[in-house]
Amino acid sequence: MKLFQLRKGQFVYYQNELHRVYSVKPMVKKSVHLMKLKDLSQHICSAAEVDKYQPKELDSFIFNKNVYTLSKYRKAEEGDFILITNPNPDYLDHYSLNEIEVVASVENKGVITNKYNGIRHNEYLLMVPGRDDNSNRIEYRDIQDIEESNIQDHSDVISDLLPTIGDVYRKNDTNAAIDAMVVAIQGNTIILGGGLELPHEELMNNEKWEFLYSLLDK
Amino acid sequence: MNVNKLKEKSVFIISLLLTLIFIVWGVFFTDNLTKVTNSIYSGSIDYLGWVYIGTTFFFVIFSIYLLFSKYGHIRLGKATDRPDFNTASWLAMLFGAGMGIGIVYWSVAEPVTHYTTPPYGEGYTLEAADVAMKYTFFHWGLHPWAIYTVIGLALAICQYNKKLPAAISSVFYPILKDRIYGPIGKTIDILSVFATVFGIATSLGLGALQVTAGMHSIFGVPNTLIVQLIVIAVATVIFLISINTGLEKGIQYLSNAAMIISFAVLVLILIVGPTMMIIKFFFNTTGLYLNDFIQMSLRMTPFGNGEWIASWTLFYWAWWIAWAPFVGMFIARISRGRTVKQFVIGVLIVPTLGTCIWMSIFGGSALDIVISSENHELAKYIADNVSLAIFTFFDYLPLSTLLSIMGFALVAIYYVTVADTSTFVLGMLSEGGTLNPSNKIKMTWGIIQSAVAAVLLLSGGLTVLQTASIVVAFPFAIIMLFMCYSLLKALNSELVIQTRKKKVKDYS
Repeated sequence: MKLFQLRKGQFVYYQNELHRVYSVKPMVKKSVHLMKLKDLSQHICSAAEVDKYQPKELDSFIFNKNVYTLSKYRKAEEGDFILITNPNPDYLDHYSLNEIEVVASVENKGVITNKYNGIRHNEYLLMVPGRDDNSNRIEYRDIQDIEESNIQDHSDVISDLLPTIGDVYRKNDTNAAIDAMVVAIQGNTIILGGGLELPHEELMNNEKWEFLYSLLDK
Repeated sequence: MNVNKLKEKSVFIISLLLTLIFIVWGVFFTDNLTKVTNSIYSGSIDYLGWVYIGTTFFFVIFSIYLLFSKYGHIRLGKATDRPDFNTASWLAMLFGAGMGIGIVYWSVAEPVTHYTTPPYGEGYTLEAADVAMKYTFFHWGLHPWAIYTVIGLALAICQYNKKLPAAISSVFYPILKDRIYGPIGKTIDILSVFATVFGIATSLGLGALQVTAGMHSIFGVPNTLIVQLIVIAVATVIFLISINTGLEKGIQYLSNAAMIISFAVLVLILIVGPTMMIIKFFFNTTGLYLNDFIQMSLRMTPFGNGEWIASWTLFYWAWWIAWAPFVGMFIARISRGRTVKQFVIGVLIVPTLGTCIWMSIFGGSALDIVISSENHELAKYIADNVSLAIFTFFDYLPLSTLLSIMGFALVAIYYVTVADTSTFVLGMLSEGGTLNPSNKIKMTWGIIQSAVAAVLLLSGGLTVLQTASIVVAFPFAIIMLFMCYSLLKALNSELVIQTRKKKVKDYS
């Protein structure tokens, strides 16, 4: 019997893939709410089905379809992702273990994230894009189980948030601005409401299209 | 230290010097300080009184105007931001931050004291009981929350919509533009730090009085000045350790525990106390409060002695204003993603109801005990021993030991959490609004605020605490008036931005 105490924030393996526990509801059978780091999908399971993993320096994993390597040495810059491994929030901060936030500005003693948390330099590991040669891949517990080609697929995808149906975007570079929702995805072609069809790269270009919100988020 | 670094730290250094001068004055010239505060106290009734009365009343009108204004739908943050907390925990958090230690201290003492010496009319009568409850609602109702609404909203708009640092001077960006980084901005920050130190020191002083009183009534520890100073020293050591060792998480657990204990005590008293009387008190006093609202808000005594107003109303207004930067920062932080209308309802209306319920339960049952037993001695005893009031009151209820212990735990926890969290806010305010204040600065403020509290207690206890607030909060009250104007300008420019975006949306 596994007598392992599960807590919000921990990284765990569930069905061989790396997840983050985002909530634990003690009164129900399937009490563990998980987010798969690879594609941010949500899952639900019981504590017996997971194994804990504590991320450390030089671990590399896929977060939202991008590969990152955890690093202590590079200084954080604006726009970098950080993984908060040693949370010590102050009075006005609201973050917890293993949260991933985006750096909004860098100060002497720490960084400020775009969620207005002040995080000291010793509280986080920087997520450097790409896979370091010396890194230890942690996205699967048992890498032998995964076919080589499958892995190859994932490391190719170095794109930002992929559009999903229900995302609303705004076109930036015309006078008459257009808001449109993704209604269909056909391979690399994204079809927006109003009959707009465009390649995925163009929609992902931040200068041309701005992501507003997703209907599914509500 | 080179000149640039000195300039960067000027807010910290100057406000620290000012406070140190005050502490030295208090320790070495205690009699002189007492004398000066006394003369300021009587002067403040004549000269500062109308300013406080006028400004706080204006804040109430201004907040209610915001609620119904065209700015209601403006969102704090980006149009796509949604609140970080669900509404129930948001309300609980801001209520705890706004009232905290004071509400435990005064909820029994205030109505009973008013009953013995009402602002007008005879004491110990049934009319006096009505007036007592009415004035308690008044002091803890819309006015304090209106002050927090103004400062919280101004800070939130500046941080989330204008992307400015989390300092009080940022609020003046719409008026001063880049001069907020110059001497004017620094002066504003220094005054806000100074006011905050005294607001917090007042709370810590009251807290120390009450922790000692609690130990006196539960464990029989002598209720003397020495013990009060020891309480301050011990608490200081506790939070200095917590700052340095990362025990701050523990402090957060404690502060959640305090919320739960207060709610438990509240429900317990409602059940074991005179339940029907409490409900009647709540409805009756709410009616009186609403009916006499304007008259009470502007009440001064041109021909009479202003002693009562100064020692109660003015003290409260000043204390809330001195306390405002601290609470405002916190409220702003937890309110990102809400609209102006939600903000005003959540910070002005709902907590006012909350304090009224709290006061009805504590004050109502205390008055009921005093009146139904016709025990004038008891009433006088409570009014004379304000810090013991809540424990004396518990003795007259069933389950008194349990209630006393819970009450003591509550006061002790509030004391430590306020002391701890305030060092963070002071560090932030004095370092130009950084969210990562250095530990050295936090510790310095920790020691300073305890020292100020100790000095105030040393030089005369409660009255000196009250006077210090009235004097120190004065410049900040004026700053807050300008803040309203600045907030309006900021809201106007935000209205233009957010409506334009909406129009674009409607068009497509």
